[in-house]
Amino acid sequence: MAAGIIVLSLSAMALQYRITATALETRQAELLSAELSGFAQFYEQRRIPGLREAIAARAALTTPDEGLYLLQDRNGTTLAGNIDRWPGALAPEGALFAPAPLSEIAIDGTEYLGVARELPGGFPFLAARAWTPVTGTLDELRGTILWVAAGLSTLALLAGWLVARAVVGRIGRINALADRVAGGDLSARLPGPQSADEFGALERHVNQMLDRIEALNRATHRLSDAIAHELRTPLNRIRQRLDRLEGQDEDVAAIREDMAGTVRIFDSLLDISSAEAASGQRPGLVPVDLSAIAAEVYELYEPLAEDRGLIPEARIEPGAWVLGERNLIAQLVSNLLDNAIKFTGPGDGVTLSVTAGERHMLTVADTGPGVPDDIRATVFDRFTRGERDRAVAGHGLGLALVQAIAARHGAKLSLPAAPRGFRIEIAWPSLPRP
Amino acid sequence: MTTQTARILIVEDDAEAAAALSAAVRDLGCEPVVMQSYEDGLRAAGLAEFRVIVFDRMLPGGDGIDAIAKIRAAGSTALVLVVSALGRAANKIEGLEKGADDYLAKPFDADELRARLRALLRRQEMVVMDNDLVTFGDLQIRMKARTVHVKNAHVPVSPKEFELIAYFARNAGEVVTRMQLLENVWNLHFDPQTNVVDVHVGRLRRKLEQAAGHPVIHTDRGVGYVFDPQKDPVG
Repeated sequence: MAAGIIVLSLSAMALQYRITATALETRQAELLSAELSGFAQFYEQRRIPGLREAIAARAALTTPDEGLYLLQDRNGTTLAGNIDRWPGALAPEGALFAPAPLSEIAIDGTEYLGVARELPGGFPFLAARAWTPVTGTLDELRGTILWVAAGLSTLALLAGWLVARAVVGRIGRINALADRVAGGDLSARLPGPQSADEFGALERHVNQMLDRIEALNRATHRLSDAIAHELRTPLNRIRQRLDRLEGQDEDVAAIREDMAGTVRIFDSLLDISSAEAASGQRPGLVPVDLSAIAAEVYELYEPLAEDRGLIPEARIEPGAWVLGERNLIAQLVSNLLDNAIKFTGPGDGVTLSVTAGERHMLTVADTGPGVPDDIRATVFDRFTRGERDRAVAGHGLGLALVQAIAARHGAKLSLPAAPRGFRIEIAWPSLPRP
Repeated sequence: MTTQTARILIVEDDAEAAAALSAAVRDLGCEPVVMQSYEDGLRAAGLAEFRVIVFDRMLPGGDGIDAIAKIRAAGSTALVLVVSALGRAANKIEGLEKGADDYLAKPFDADELRARLRALLRRQEMVVMDNDLVTFGDLQIRMKARTVHVKNAHVPVSPKEFELIAYFARNAGEVVTRMQLLENVWNLHFDPQTNVVDVHVGRLRRKLEQAAGHPVIHTDRGVGYVFDPQKDPVG
């Protein structure tokens, strides 16, 4: 907007400049024309002698800076004038004292506009007015315009900056708040009283919106807590009654196992949604050593893999620190190793690796049958299980939880095509080593 | 006799759960005191001496884990076991961070509950157990050096195996469940789908049995393990 005002002002000044320039030109032309008609009268009355006197009189009053006057005879001898030589390249044109055509003349850097004629009998005649005063005036005007423009621009910029700073400052407050909320701090609000203008209204609306989001979030948490409570309490009663049953030990054990499975599904679903809800948020995350956690979980699974006839291997670079929740990361690594062990057979390799870098890379790869084609696209969805693997225990929640935990940590997950087996890569935002 | 009976406070509003908790407490030879609301529980904790306090979470009047700090501030030395339907790993970690000594999710197994209570009672008894040398017959554990000897012969164990045997030693003679091992030895609070812990215990058990010539770690009917080097292998 400031730029628009500046452009408008500058255009106005340019127009003023054009008008002034035209006016000055017209005035010079009028002066010349008046002089020419004076000379014409003298010439009409007494021919060359009359004109010679008139020119001599003008020449005496006029310095060559202001105007040129010259009358010569047919031999080039000067009869009258304030210069003594005919300007070299100038060719006479036109008749007697008519105001047109005009010639442009330049002598020693001074520019003139006037008439160069050859009067009857071969008398060269020159009358011209210097453009210097005009150019001087215009130069001065240009200078003034330039200063005014510079001043105006500075003022406009300053005013624009002040207004922008006030606006940007208030937008900045809202942006900072949005960042905090996006970072997971749902209790963040714009502090202080809100002004009566549109910004104040916006701030009030943002605060009201956040109140609502926070209330909904609390309600969701209460609901899942309530579900947990309301379902687990009756399950607990069933469990206690089972414990009191005598005989039928096998059935009781099977029911217990089924109940444990039910609770596990239920926990996984709640874990997935709570990790998803906290996705990318910082609260609750602390610096943890991804390398150390991976090594611990690997160590937990290594003997099991060996017992199953697999060839487990860990390549873990130390010092890959991330902002995370230890138990969740351990659960992620555990789910991946668990899957790798579940879906491979004796002689297969299972490799866990961590490489530290700009983004720490955690990779679990095996040489088993890989992901069946029928579920490749949906492998991270809840309850996805391959037809091929119906016999393998599980509910199809392991990878869904892995994905939710990765997202919770801002980690990117990919399934690069491997020549053999299953391979998953997770890129974690890195932290400087504490 | 009554003066020696350890009292355990149970704060639980669900009658069935309270009955199961009381039964477990009696099984351990202790006396249960049941309260049904947050306020009553908190008041009772301040009125009498309890060895262990079992607190539920979603109680009428409040959340049991908020009571822990108040109970401690009032000077009680009771250990707190939270038993709650809020049973996810995140809930457990929250409870432990807020000062619970142990956390058991509902629905719970009676054996698991007894094992947890027993471990807490035991912890209460051996407040000053920083003996460097722990001996079970011909089995010796040196805590500082982190070594295990059987009949004066060194038994090489991995660092994790040592932690495992140290935890077993602290609960010698008692049933220790897989979940307890996973939580206390591996500091993991989720339920792995495979029984990874069994493989570790199996390896340690074979090592110790080979060195000792008799079983040192016994399996207890699918509930868990009992570390008892002096137990008669036949019995």
